[in-house]
Amino acid sequence: MNDTRTPEWLVRSEPALCPCGCIGRRRKGSFVEKTLTGASDVMRRVLSSDDTSAQDGLLQRLDARVKLLSTAVLLVVAGLVHHIAVLLVLYGGALALAAASRLSIAMFVKRVWLFVPLFTGVVVLPATFNVVTPGHVVVSFGHWWFGREIGITSQGLHGASLIVVRVAVSISLVLLLTITTSWPRLLGGLRALLVPRMFVAVLGMAHRYVFQLLGTVTDMYTARKARPAGERGTRAGRAFVASTAGALLGKAHALSEEVHQAMVARGYQGDAVALVAPRLTVADLVWVMTCAGAAVLTLGADHVLAG
Amino acid sequence: YLSPATCATLYAASTPAWLAAGRRVRRVVKQRYVPLVAIGAAYCFLVMMFNVPVPDGTTAHAVGGVLVACVLGPWAAVIAVSTALLIQALFFGDGGVLAFGANAFNMAVVMPFAGYGVYRLVAGGASLTARRRAFAAGLGGYVGINAAAFLTAIEFGLQPVWFHRADGTPLYAPFHLAQSIPAMMFAHLVVAGVVEFALTAGVVTYLQRANLPLMRINHRNVHDGTGDIADDVARVPAFRFRFALIGLAVMAVLTPVGLLAPGSAFGEDAPPKLGFLRGYDFTSGAHPLVGYVVSAALGIVVIGLVTVGGLAISRRGRRRAVRCEAAA
Repeated sequence: MNDTRTPEWLVRSEPALCPCGCIGRRRKGSFVEKTLTGASDVMRRVLSSDDTSAQDGLLQRLDARVKLLSTAVLLVVAGLVHHIAVLLVLYGGALALAAASRLSIAMFVKRVWLFVPLFTGVVVLPATFNVVTPGHVVVSFGHWWFGREIGITSQGLHGASLIVVRVAVSISLVLLLTITTSWPRLLGGLRALLVPRMFVAVLGMAHRYVFQLLGTVTDMYTARKARPAGERGTRAGRAFVASTAGALLGKAHALSEEVHQAMVARGYQGDAVALVAPRLTVADLVWVMTCAGAAVLTLGADHVLAG
Repeated sequence: YLSPATCATLYAASTPAWLAAGRRVRRVVKQRYVPLVAIGAAYCFLVMMFNVPVPDGTTAHAVGGVLVACVLGPWAAVIAVSTALLIQALFFGDGGVLAFGANAFNMAVVMPFAGYGVYRLVAGGASLTARRRAFAAGLGGYVGINAAAFLTAIEFGLQPVWFHRADGTPLYAPFHLAQSIPAMMFAHLVVAGVVEFALTAGVVTYLQRANLPLMRINHRNVHDGTGDIADDVARVPAFRFRFALIGLAVMAVLTPVGLLAPGSAFGEDAPPKLGFLRGYDFTSGAHPLVGYVVSAALGIVVIGLVTVGGLAISRRGRRRAVRCEAAA
């Protein structure tokens, strides 16, 4: 039997920190606090694709440049499609690709549909009403607006669902690209596609320092929370946010000086060099042909449906 | 939300700004500040992450673009905000990759320049530590974010006008200008703009108090209350000229707003024989939309050519005069 056990004092629940709010008054955290505590985890999960891009799947084997180009083409195709059925087929294709790339389908679906209803759904909801999109009323809510009928129109519903599905397809396609490609390869691909080297350098470093800065902000916030006693006014809160942001800029400046010196010391002359030189394979060629075929087929199907 | 055609147009509009920004930052800000611009981008990214709930059910966020423009210069802000937007588009699906050009045009090109223009105008020759400068930066932030929001609202609002099915089903963003402009402007005038004002002014105040060297990066010639008087004044004419051009460009982009106005322009009816492009069936009202856009573009090109030609002639005249003086 395993004798090593967690000491009792370590697992004992602290009455003062009871999360259920049964002791003392439970305070609702501010949105700053919520964003800070939540963001760190989410960002680490979202921004690092190291584990998924190292798996041995279909998309992981392809060249980053080819993937970038094909994603761009498929995004334009998704933008041009005017029928929900065709978009749903595209979404099915994206799911199949995720499965072929050995990604967890549940995670893939969750990451797309967690954002879509929250951001897109809320925004397009009012557009289903006849006030925004006039047309054939399907669900009526009565004639209470100065004698006019208020209701959901079929045109509005159709338009809104078209947007929601299109956004889901677009996010899925971009997600496929970003989670099957390691960040350095993606940057190399961007550079190969004639994106100026300065942008690529800035992009690479910004991605790296988002974590660093977020860590600094969290530290400053924790330090601030630990110090004062009693209630703090909104004015003090505003001053704190502004000075945190200012101090962050100062820290970032100092950091950038150090980073630059470190870069120059390692031979940086303005261009990022990838350790592995990318090479096109037969698989890349087959992928390009498949994507082109899929694009033509999708647009053709959409055209036939429209006709 | 936006049609591929709109996205392509706005990509095309942003590309010259990106190229110019890349060249200028490399020349003016130097390679040494590449990490600083990168960290500015990470900074903008963090600022954009703080979505503030707005009473109408959506959320709005500050951008921080004008702040970066005040500290590092507007061209560096173009790159920093673009990068932050690209990271958002790639990793969070926020904004979208196709719409990146449009987002970048609104928030990374128009916003820093509009905001920075207001900042320079209001700050004038005030010393680096003056309260007026912090207020000017805040005001710049407020104007900048609202200019960006207004442009976004127009881009959204034009979608159902241009792209819809025969039965009225909108193919892209469904809201008309009469709905998109009030919705966006309410959120930004009342909430996001105020947040941007407070953030920009607050950070500039803090930097004035605690980290003046950082402010000096983009204000080399401005006196800081102890040093020399600014020779900023000498640069004002060129600066104003440049911003006049930017203002004109913004107005050109806003041309489609004219589509909103019902009826025809008062007193501008041309005699029938004077109409251009008669063979193309624009004047008879068969394609009012295309006709409107084509005539606007044609007008801009003609006026642009006349201006450039006039400038070239006056410059040549001046050069000749200088040569004559030298010969004499």
